[in-house]
Amino acid sequence: MKEELSPREQTANKLYIPLRILMVLSAVLLFFPAINPALMITSAGQAKVSGTASLFTCAVSYGSLTDGLNRAFRVGWISQGLFVMLYIACVLLVLGIAAAAAAGCMSAGNRKLKNLGNFIAVAGGAAQLVGSVLILVFYFLMIDSADMSKITMRFPNAVWIYIVIGVAVLLLSIAVMILVPKADKGEHFAIESKYKLFLMIMPFLVLCFAFSYLPLFSWRYAFFDYTAGGEISWDNFVGLKWFKILFQNEAYTKRLLTVMKNTLAMSGLGLLTSWLPMVFAIFLAEMKSTKYRRFVQTFTTIPNFISWVLIYAIAFAMFNTDGFINTLLQSFGVNATDNYLGGNSHMWLKMLAWGTWKGVGWSAIIYISGIAGIDQQLYEAATVDGAGRFQRMLHITLPGLLPTYTVMLIMSIAGILSNGMDQYLVFTNAQNKYSLEVLDLYVYNLGIGNGDIPLSTVVGMMKSIIAVVLLFVANRVAKSVRGENIV
Amino acid sequence: MAMTKQEKLDAKAEKAYEKKHRRKYKLTTGDIIFNILNYGFFGIFTISCIFPFYYIFINTISSRSAVTRGEVLFYPIGVTLKNYLDILKVDDVFRAFGVSITRTIVGTALMVLATGFIGYLVTKEEMWHRKLWYRFLIITMYFNAGIIPWYMNMNMLGLTDHFIAYIIPGIVAPYNIILVKTYIESIPGELEESAFMDGAGYLTVFWKIVWPLSRPILATIAIFGAVGHWNSFTDSLILMQNTPKLYTLQHLLYNYLNQATNIGAAMNSGDSAAAAAAAEMLNNKVIKYTVAMTSIIPILLVYPFMQRYFEKGIMLGAVKG
Repeated sequence: MKEELSPREQTANKLYIPLRILMVLSAVLLFFPAINPALMITSAGQAKVSGTASLFTCAVSYGSLTDGLNRAFRVGWISQGLFVMLYIACVLLVLGIAAAAAAGCMSAGNRKLKNLGNFIAVAGGAAQLVGSVLILVFYFLMIDSADMSKITMRFPNAVWIYIVIGVAVLLLSIAVMILVPKADKGEHFAIESKYKLFLMIMPFLVLCFAFSYLPLFSWRYAFFDYTAGGEISWDNFVGLKWFKILFQNEAYTKRLLTVMKNTLAMSGLGLLTSWLPMVFAIFLAEMKSTKYRRFVQTFTTIPNFISWVLIYAIAFAMFNTDGFINTLLQSFGVNATDNYLGGNSHMWLKMLAWGTWKGVGWSAIIYISGIAGIDQQLYEAATVDGAGRFQRMLHITLPGLLPTYTVMLIMSIAGILSNGMDQYLVFTNAQNKYSLEVLDLYVYNLGIGNGDIPLSTVVGMMKSIIAVVLLFVANRVAKSVRGENIV
Repeated sequence: MAMTKQEKLDAKAEKAYEKKHRRKYKLTTGDIIFNILNYGFFGIFTISCIFPFYYIFINTISSRSAVTRGEVLFYPIGVTLKNYLDILKVDDVFRAFGVSITRTIVGTALMVLATGFIGYLVTKEEMWHRKLWYRFLIITMYFNAGIIPWYMNMNMLGLTDHFIAYIIPGIVAPYNIILVKTYIESIPGELEESAFMDGAGYLTVFWKIVWPLSRPILATIAIFGAVGHWNSFTDSLILMQNTPKLYTLQHLLYNYLNQATNIGAAMNSGDSAAAAAAAEMLNNKVIKYTVAMTSIIPILLVYPFMQRYFEKGIMLGAVKG
């Protein structure tokens, strides 16, 4: 049963829509360093003042607001008192936005909750407006009082955004405050359960957005001439320059080709041996002793739960110059001092071996449970018909596992570009670094190692897009093979 | 490992079956050869999976001189705990151990709480646009922006060089949400309904009814989540570039194995003689083994518990939305 709304309330409901959008927008803007009006000093003396803190960070910690300015305070180029005031203005602004956001949530409730929410929204909007105007005021005060021969400042353009939003939020919330009628005396705070549930899940949606969707926004670095610690602005927009460099500059193209060769080779070797876990499971099931089977299964699964760093520690202990192999050989009187981890021979095969050793026991589990699900009567019938061990394996077990294998294979084809970087990073040394550099590691080396953010973003971006396309294709294929989606 | 009742019954039935069939069919020579090869292969492979851990372990509890002389191969010589006591003195190791433990406990606890709650919420048909939000969460499994944009994003949010960067991004875990949601859907709804009849709210129902009933799946995701946290190394490598005191144990071990940061340990202790001694000590391979062992032991300790959840855990890789 829906209650008939008065025309005034209908208008209010319409006004709520832009109001909520503004509230969300201002709350999101808080986290963007580029839109931070509080960072108005670009350099103090020789030192460049970095501007990488968001307004939210500045309001939480005074230290990040005054980052790089300690000397300026000490020498007296700027007054510290003014900065404390600026900090208070930031806190006011952020609190105002937070209050408005909370009020936005309340607007999903009944009249009583709406009344309270509107009151808070007016207060929040006012705080936001006062805070942002104060920031503007302090900017001018600072220009007057600071030693302008040492200090360079820029006008905080972002402050206009906050002032405009503040005014809009204030006006709209005053309007809805007037329009929404007072709640009846006996009414309690309540929200319809559909909105209540949404408000409960919202914080997690925000987290998910911040760490899974927001990184897509950083793809913009691919189109700018950005150096670590610098800024991006329309002045250093370069369009597709980095894409062109990657494919036209000979040095980069050559390296990318090597990287692709490594990536596809390692993935290809992985695909060629992807049947190993299945065969492992089939032969494991052929052993009659349950205890022995359990023993094998228990201990061959352990390496899967050990990180690649520890796998490398193991490799180090076994194959280093004074590792197990050499010590063993020496105890037989052989003069063995080879370091099997150095050098650049057969790296692809070695990596395949490590990967198989680590993963085969674990990957076999899904097939082992698959075998447990095969009807025992099939085996009995086959035995009666005179089928031998291998015939039973080939004609009963294998076909029973093939659907699972197909899905696994399709999934790994979809992931052909993602080898992960841990394994290759830990095994890298000066001699083998070019035969171990797979795509993920290349992106890491380029971006973190060389600090070449734009180019590594370009590579990572293309990889991500191809990976999504591959996944869709794989899903299509799986659907036509099995009649079921895998994604 | 303790067997459940059902497993015991199964084993019994299996034995009876074998006995019956052994009388019927005698082993042929081919069978015997096959069995020898099969058992032999699995035996050798299993040993290859155990022996390295054992080898590292006996090295760390043997006297250093015996290790240097190359005598320690298959059993410890001159058993001592000196190596373990020594690494306790290295501030870096101690601190990294603390960071790893804290992030594992706090990170896993928050992840499990959040996943349980989200998993419950997304089963509620009456939620406003439930399908949309569920897809919004789940679809993030299938794309990622790439490691550098992710890093720049963390940078933008001001999380680099902060401990919480280990915790917060892992709270919403889509795979686990699917697992928990599927599990909760299989719980009969009557209990919940009667609680609502009694006037309980969503939070009460979740905490008093759904949470206790979904313990098996929550334990599964907890244990796999904890192992993930303990093993993670890339995030420390990328996010904590300027803050060595927040390195995880894995990251520190990686640095030791690469002999890159012995100076770091030396700088912590003030006087130069002690510094030199610390650096000297860290160059010793046995100390590296000891650090490795401290990082393997927690995994081996939880491993027996984990085994119970393998069947559910393997779904982690094979579920669909």
